[in-house]
Amino acid sequence: MDERTEIMLDNIGMTYKTNDGRDVTALTSVTLDIRKGEFISLLGPSGCGKTTLLRIIADLLTPTQGNISVGGETPRQARLKQRYGIVFQSAVLYDWRTVRKNVMLPLEIMHVPKEERIDRADKMLELVGLSDFANHFPGQLSGGMQQRVGIARALAIRPEILLMDEPFSALDEFTREKLHDDLLRIWRKTNKTVVFVTHNISEAVYLSDRVCVLSPHPGRLSAVVDIDLPRPRTAQLKSTPEFTALVAKVRSSFEGV
Amino acid sequence: MKIKKFFSSQKFIVFVWVLGIAVIWEIFAFIVAATKRTPVNVLPHLWQIIEAFFSDKKVSGKMTMAELIGTACQETLLRAAIGFAIGTVLGYLLALLMNLSRIVEKIAFPYLMLIQMIPILGMAPIILSITGDINTSRIVIAAILTFYPVSANTLAGFKAVEQEKCELMYSYASSRFQLYTKTLIPSCIPYFFTGLKISAPMAITASILVDTLQGGNGLGCMLSQSLKGGMTRLVFWDIVLISAIIGILSYQVMGLIEKLICPYKRTKKAD
Ligand SMILES: Nc1ncnc2c1ncn2[C@@H]1O[C@H](COP(=O)(O)OP(=O)(O)O)[C@@H](O)[C@H]1O
Ligand SMILES: [Mg+2]
Repeated sequence: MDERTEIMLDNIGMTYKTNDGRDVTALTSVTLDIRKGEFISLLGPSGCGKTTLLRIIADLLTPTQGNISVGGETPRQARLKQRYGIVFQSAVLYDWRTVRKNVMLPLEIMHVPKEERIDRADKMLELVGLSDFANHFPGQLSGGMQQRVGIARALAIRPEILLMDEPFSALDEFTREKLHDDLLRIWRKTNKTVVFVTHNISEAVYLSDRVCVLSPHPGRLSAVVDIDLPRPRTAQLKSTPEFTALVAKVRSSFEGV
Repeated sequence: MKIKKFFSSQKFIVFVWVLGIAVIWEIFAFIVAATKRTPVNVLPHLWQIIEAFFSDKKVSGKMTMAELIGTACQETLLRAAIGFAIGTVLGYLLALLMNLSRIVEKIAFPYLMLIQMIPILGMAPIILSITGDINTSRIVIAAILTFYPVSANTLAGFKAVEQEKCELMYSYASSRFQLYTKTLIPSCIPYFFTGLKISAPMAITASILVDTLQGGNGLGCMLSQSLKGGMTRLVFWDIVLISAIIGILSYQVMGLIEKLICPYKRTKKAD
């Protein structure tokens, strides 16, 4: 195992038992090392097991096959040490709490003293550009702003690993592109390991160091594509031949879609 | 635009409803007045009912109508309120227990449904023979009727919490206690209040109904005395009107408390 490995997936498989007793194989033999500080995407059509894999890493699911270690520990140990920040497709905000109090919630769970809670929440809100909305309620924010609050909340506990499950797929194109750049800026600033689930090829290529291509029936890892585009990246990159070539390469590595 | 908004506003709709009911009432009251010998016993005019309430005429002993109904209200409402409070607390606790344990839920839920189906007046004699005291029975029955809506709605509220919220709490390594205090309990407040809004008028209705079974000074006691001819029939009509108003008010009060507790509900989306 490499010194720099953060998450090690070894021959991971997941078979669900449905209520009517059938077996559904969502993932088979996924082997992958995710490096510390890496931005990695899990890309594939829906139903190919992306969420399943992310949930296995997050300790929300136990794989039926294979081994997984996170920084040399089990996912459970990593979770108990609060090393994960999770962002879902919907922002999952608490509508009875203000934006600031939403970001403070995980810190309350961790018994961080009040002064520090406020301080850290405000820093996170500044990072995602929502300082002016600290006292608003989530219902008063647009979808893109709500997702930013979700990101701020995930970062507030200072996790080493940020797990994101299609966080921008419900947003419009313009908002999404803005959030891409914000996410890259935050990632560079905070040095997190990011596991980013998406079904959007261009999004995966633009954001990632590596793109893991998952194919369905059964869900499996069919390719890992290195994205050796220079950083920092800006929107202009998307119209360069290098970018287009990588998108084509990723697209061609899908099997049986 | 403004006019259109007014006509579709809540206040206007309520106004139309009240007016509609009053008009229909009066049409029938006029027909009754023209055809029956003692129209007050069948359907008096609305103004007669209101006039009787404010008149100085003694209806029972030294009491005017307003005094009589005032004291009766106090008694009945106090019992309804105590029963309502007990039912709310127990109903909430049971919902909590049912959510904490599947076994408790499986055992308790059918009984909850059953209690709900027994008619109050069928339940009353049983409760009376258990407690041995009519006033206690009145409280107990108000509590039983409150219990089911509060419990069922609160449980539904716990079940309706987004799975992702619970998963987030799990990822923060929260304790079960924190899961409840920070996520589940606040999430289900609107459901809890739905239960309260249903059961508040029910507790009052039950209290009045059970009043009629035996003597005393409650609203229902006066109501049946009036029907039996012990007092003018207008006492009956005034109590009907006042009870309806109190029932509606109790619902409104629950809504008001909910708004005070959840200020975010009042905030509108800033476009
Ligand atoms: N709890 C479950 N029970 C049974 N089958 C499931 C369950 N969750 C997911 N699956 C199945 O596993 C497969 C992968 O699902 P998922 O990981 O959600 O895919 P993705 O996130 O890529 O869309 C799908 O075929 C889905 O139907
Ligand atoms: Mg998914």
